[in-house]
Amino acid sequence: MEATKKEHQLIVSVSPHVKTDETTSRIMWSVSLALLPAALAGVYFFGLRALFITALCIVSSAVFEQLYFRMVGKKSAVGDGSAFLTGLLLGMNMPASLWSFSPFTVHVPVIASFVAVVITKQLFGGLGFNVFNPALIGRAFALISWPKAMTIWSEPTAAFLAMDAKTTATPLGILKEEGVVKLLEVFGDKMSLYMHLLTGNRAGSIGETSAIAILIGGLFLLYRGYITWHIPVSFLGTAAVIAWVFGGKGALFTGDPIVHLISGGMMLGAWFMATDYVTSPSVRKGQIIFGIGCGFLTMLIRLKGGYPEGVMFAILIMNCFAPIIDRGVKSKVFGAVKQNTAKENK
Amino acid sequence: MNSEFIKLFELIISASLINNFVFTRFLGLCIFFGVSKKMETAVGMSITFTAVMMISAAMSWVIFNFIMIPLDITFLKIIVFIGVVAGLVQASDTIMRKVAPGLYYKLGIYLALISTNCIILAVPLVNAGEKYSLLQSIAFAFGSGIGFALAMIIMASIREKLELADVPAPFRGLPMAFVVTGLIALAFTGFSGLITL
Amino acid sequence: MSQSTTINIKDQILNGIVKENTIFKLALSLCPSIAVTNNLKNGVLMGIAVLFVQVMVNITISLLRNVIQPKVRLPIFMLVISGWVTVTDMTMAATVPDVYKQMGLYIQLIVAFASILARAEMFASKNKFIPSMADGIGMGIGFLFALTVISFFRELLGKGSLWGMPIVHTKPVLMFILPAGGFFAVGILMAFFNWIDARYMKKSSHAAH
Repeated sequence: MEATKKEHQLIVSVSPHVKTDETTSRIMWSVSLALLPAALAGVYFFGLRALFITALCIVSSAVFEQLYFRMVGKKSAVGDGSAFLTGLLLGMNMPASLWSFSPFTVHVPVIASFVAVVITKQLFGGLGFNVFNPALIGRAFALISWPKAMTIWSEPTAAFLAMDAKTTATPLGILKEEGVVKLLEVFGDKMSLYMHLLTGNRAGSIGETSAIAILIGGLFLLYRGYITWHIPVSFLGTAAVIAWVFGGKGALFTGDPIVHLISGGMMLGAWFMATDYVTSPSVRKGQIIFGIGCGFLTMLIRLKGGYPEGVMFAILIMNCFAPIIDRGVKSKVFGAVKQNTAKENK
Repeated sequence: MNSEFIKLFELIISASLINNFVFTRFLGLCIFFGVSKKMETAVGMSITFTAVMMISAAMSWVIFNFIMIPLDITFLKIIVFIGVVAGLVQASDTIMRKVAPGLYYKLGIYLALISTNCIILAVPLVNAGEKYSLLQSIAFAFGSGIGFALAMIIMASIREKLELADVPAPFRGLPMAFVVTGLIALAFTGFSGLITL
Repeated sequence: MSQSTTINIKDQILNGIVKENTIFKLALSLCPSIAVTNNLKNGVLMGIAVLFVQVMVNITISLLRNVIQPKVRLPIFMLVISGWVTVTDMTMAATVPDVYKQMGLYIQLIVAFASILARAEMFASKNKFIPSMADGIGMGIGFLFALTVISFFRELLGKGSLWGMPIVHTKPVLMFILPAGGFFAVGILMAFFNWIDARYMKKSSHAAH
């Protein structure tokens, strides 16, 4: 009781973001709402385990955030929904197969949540100051720490309650290892492949498979004005062009951009991860540069790199560059003035 | 000729991105953490550093291949290379002060620091170990310099942003810089496997 | 002067380990703190190599301090350091070839350690044989201590083993033996030592009141 009373008294003075507190939390919950279709699709295709993993990520994120606030004696901001959103995104980026007790891999989402919320967000000074997308760092940490557990992909549409399912490869994994011919063989023909990819009936992380569900959420955010078109369009556009020009076997201009756009984490990344306010440039021109960079790096890693999927790394690498991009775009206005004054001083 | 050119290009990409000295071989960290607090100094350091490193790599290569191998004194390479670096830094200090005082005024302080940067010594050592040709040695030095510059500039921009942030007290300053570097290194893991030399 | 010699030596050694710990406090010579610390054995051997070089350099410089011309002292210091590094380098190549294979480059790069040159310049060139040796031992042990702590945690967390022997049987956090994990480990340990320091200072200032 004491604590809550104190909180109310302190509301005005503690946080520098008081004015935008309400807006922040509204944005967080709206984005979470926009993710719902994709998350539901994931639960539909990968069963109850997907729900468990996602819930585990959300709960651990919130708990770690609360514990952190308690430890450093700050006013708790768990209610702003940012821990919920981070947990949800993190869970959607994990394979459902992690819900397994022998071998025991349930700790993976928990530790990943800790890395995401505490190390990537709170150590940097909390929401608004983090340089990297927390959910993506959590996932990258997990992928590199437990490479095997993080790449066991179970087949979709197993029985809903099943706690284990036949494992298989992701479409991008097949594309990388065995080529497009094998991919078509697995899914029948081109139309069937597209349909599987659009609906989300394919192996992958829980929330990344259903392109349509993600698109619905993305368009909702766009319509409500929570994101602008600059990053998703430049991201997907660049990736599509590169896939079309260089993605084919042998000759240029023979690649299939559609497969690349709706497979892997491309849709989820372009609409929900790259558009994160804090970790992407704030100026429109910068956002377009950011998106182009993401698209380029994603395709570079997919076509030439060691990993089958590059979205996560591409966004993280561009996160590093976001402050520089912001600086570069802005300094055209401010830099000129600064130089003049410097000269006058001399 | 064409394949030689591709090999040089791959060396530069590999040294700057995939096997970035700071993020994967942990060299030059003292300078990296010491000088990356402000963007301006980071840029100045990077330029000076890349230039000095390319010259020292070339000089070390000539000395190693035309003097040390014929005389069979390659075991002295540590002493000789550090001599080359120290001499070069001293010489460029003097020359710059005379010839380009304006440039010296801007970049001179970094020159003195360079001789304590282990990348500048590691590059000739790697060049000698891998038996690179003269052009390859210079390409490797150039790539390493670009990679170092990239790391410095990213780091400086992030640290400037962090200055405004409410970082928990024990992490303020260097520990946080380490965590940030770890996160950047994590992101750069994505480049692994891009080129297999 | 003479009656305080014994205290000085003890202080001098402690100074290097705690107050001016090369890695955690001065943040110098950081490269090997991550490069070779992904297992305990390499970390400890590297620490010993540095300890040896530091002590020998300090002794040599201290003995030569009256002979060296101040104007050319830096090149001579570098010569002495690189001489001892070459000795260490060749000894390790001969005695522990498997370890040397992994960290030979970093052994050679001890030459560029700012901390060694700094101690030679700031301490050994102005002090007698015994204090110089004590200073070298203190700084070297401080370095060894830091590398041991870092590599202890990294091997335990990253491989679940210590000195190559398996300890924990659950799936380890592979990250910690990789580059990125090394940066995390050092950053977190540094923050931990800062935190202890802050607490200690608070306590001692309370005691003073």
